[in-house]
Amino acid sequence: MSVTSFMRTPWVRWVAVAVVVVLLAVMPLVLPEFANQTIARIGVFAVAVLGLNVLMGYTGQVSLGQIFFVGLGAYVTAYGVTHEWNILITFLLSFLIPAIVGLIIALAAARLGGLAIAMITLALPIVGVPLAKRLGEITGGSQGLSARFSGAPEWAQAVPVYDDQWQLYVVLLITAIVFLLTRNLVRGRYGRAFAIVKGNESVASSMGISPYWYKVIAFTVASLIGGVAGFLYMVVIQYTSPETMSFGHSITLLASMVIGGAASIVGSLIGGAYYVLVPQLTNIVDPNSTALLQGAILLIVLFVLPGGIVSLPRVIHRLLSRGRGGAGRAQQTTPIAEPNPAAASEGTTTERQDQA
Amino acid sequence: MGTFVQLFVDGLSTGSIYAALALALVLVNQSTGMVNFAQGGMAVLSAYIAWWLTTLGVPLIVAILISVAASFVMGALIERYLMRRFERGDPDTAIVVTIGLLTLITGLCGWLWTYNNKQFASLFSLDTVPFLGASISLRSIGTFAVILVMMLLLQALFLGTKLGLALRAVAINPQSAAFSGLPVGRLLMIGWGLAAVLGAVAGALVAPQLTLTPGMMDNALVYALAAVILGGLSSPFGVVIAAWLIGVLENLAAVYVPFIGYDLKVAVPFILIFVVLVVRPQGLFGRKSVVRV
Repeated sequence: MSVTSFMRTPWVRWVAVAVVVVLLAVMPLVLPEFANQTIARIGVFAVAVLGLNVLMGYTGQVSLGQIFFVGLGAYVTAYGVTHEWNILITFLLSFLIPAIVGLIIALAAARLGGLAIAMITLALPIVGVPLAKRLGEITGGSQGLSARFSGAPEWAQAVPVYDDQWQLYVVLLITAIVFLLTRNLVRGRYGRAFAIVKGNESVASSMGISPYWYKVIAFTVASLIGGVAGFLYMVVIQYTSPETMSFGHSITLLASMVIGGAASIVGSLIGGAYYVLVPQLTNIVDPNSTALLQGAILLIVLFVLPGGIVSLPRVIHRLLSRGRGGAGRAQQTTPIAEPNPAAASEGTTTERQDQA
Repeated sequence: MGTFVQLFVDGLSTGSIYAALALALVLVNQSTGMVNFAQGGMAVLSAYIAWWLTTLGVPLIVAILISVAASFVMGALIERYLMRRFERGDPDTAIVVTIGLLTLITGLCGWLWTYNNKQFASLFSLDTVPFLGASISLRSIGTFAVILVMMLLLQALFLGTKLGLALRAVAINPQSAAFSGLPVGRLLMIGWGLAAVLGAVAGALVAPQLTLTPGMMDNALVYALAAVILGGLSSPFGVVIAAWLIGVLENLAAVYVPFIGYDLKVAVPFILIFVVLVVRPQGLFGRKSVVRV
């Protein structure tokens, strides 16, 4: 019995899930405060990357505007908290409002071809920053808004659970739910439709799958998940300003998604870790070279590992089994969840850009 | 009236800068089918090279010419050693590559020359001439004239020379072009080099206004992309008109629409795009193409 088939035995999977859940429940209590905060940040950006992945990894629409929805969710949260709305209603609005805004934008943007969607989403952070400054009465202008609402409640303080631990629990819970729901979405009927739209829009429409509507749906879902990330951003960082949705952050988010692995759930987690950890590391090396190093890392990954870091084990496995002469072993078992980026249909290139 | 003319002419001048970048985007797109988000970054690097030469005592015009030549080489090398691997592949990957390139070049400029603003001398004097009640700076006129000349040269290149014919052939059908004996790879390098040259000229024209920083062209790139969407990717003439339209409209909106003002005028082209797209999804001058399965 090989390792993979052992991992697929039902009871093994349930035990693995149980172990992970217990680990996650204990982890915040034993780790130092700094580690808890870092893990919570990773959770925030993993959700943001996951949203981008639904749109870009699974549906093949490049978006440079995902950070706008994160910022919007953060602003809605901050506004709700400072106006003492019920926290559940604030949470709901923090992703419903971005979803509605995303839907409206998508209705116009999805009329364009793949390249033009990228160009139009670029406008979101570029317009979002001055807009947030302009609407100062709602957004606090350049000063931004801070909202402290995510401290541990009194019953938890008695245990005792400290603020950073409580925040990490909130992030872990919501992140887990979002990841689970998204996993179900992309493995189900919608995921298959997304994959066909990504592969070849003309084939999709001839099969009765409207590329337009599935692009709109993917964009809306991505905006919704971005809004959740914005709520989590406020849980952890408790402060937002126009800078939150700057163009540079949007690019880093996209780079994180590609480096983690497009069209991959685990890749989104790796992407979140990249977003949080790598700037910290490059800052230690030389703060002036952060952008230079990040650009270089992105290009190197695209050259060497087009599937992102998540594909590393698969690539190693393939190299090893090729060495042993077992070429057939590296077959993909889940083609929809993890399409091979190299196989992304050659022939569609010219057809798609002509729609611009 | 004076204000209006003033805004109109200034709009044409800034629109010309967007037009140069937009033409560069169209040039690359027409030969390789991708959109080069690094175009603005490459223009900034060219401007930095020109600025660096002037600090060494090279006269401004010579420095700009050298940087233009260097940009041609840079564009050709980027095509040969970076982009070629991703051309004709998945267009999304290609976009991400150009975004990586943008980050890399911006980071390189910041690393070499810091993120502080640098003064870049203007090629044209800042004197003004009166015109219909407005005073128009020689710089505006000069910028406009340079872009006009470049557009005409480009048009002449494409329609009047063998090289232009070959470039168009590669753009329309690279395989047939290869079968008829054209050196497709070399032509792609030339296309990228020419696009980098256009960007370099735009960089040298915009740097005196904005002062030189690594992120200087980010906004200009946004406008250029908007012009490309509005004009239609397949029409060089269309994108220049669209760029001028955007330049003029955003200038007018900044003054005459109080809510927009100077900080929100960047939203103008996108409002325009929304309006246009509802009516004509292929852009103002683009052609609708029929897709075969």
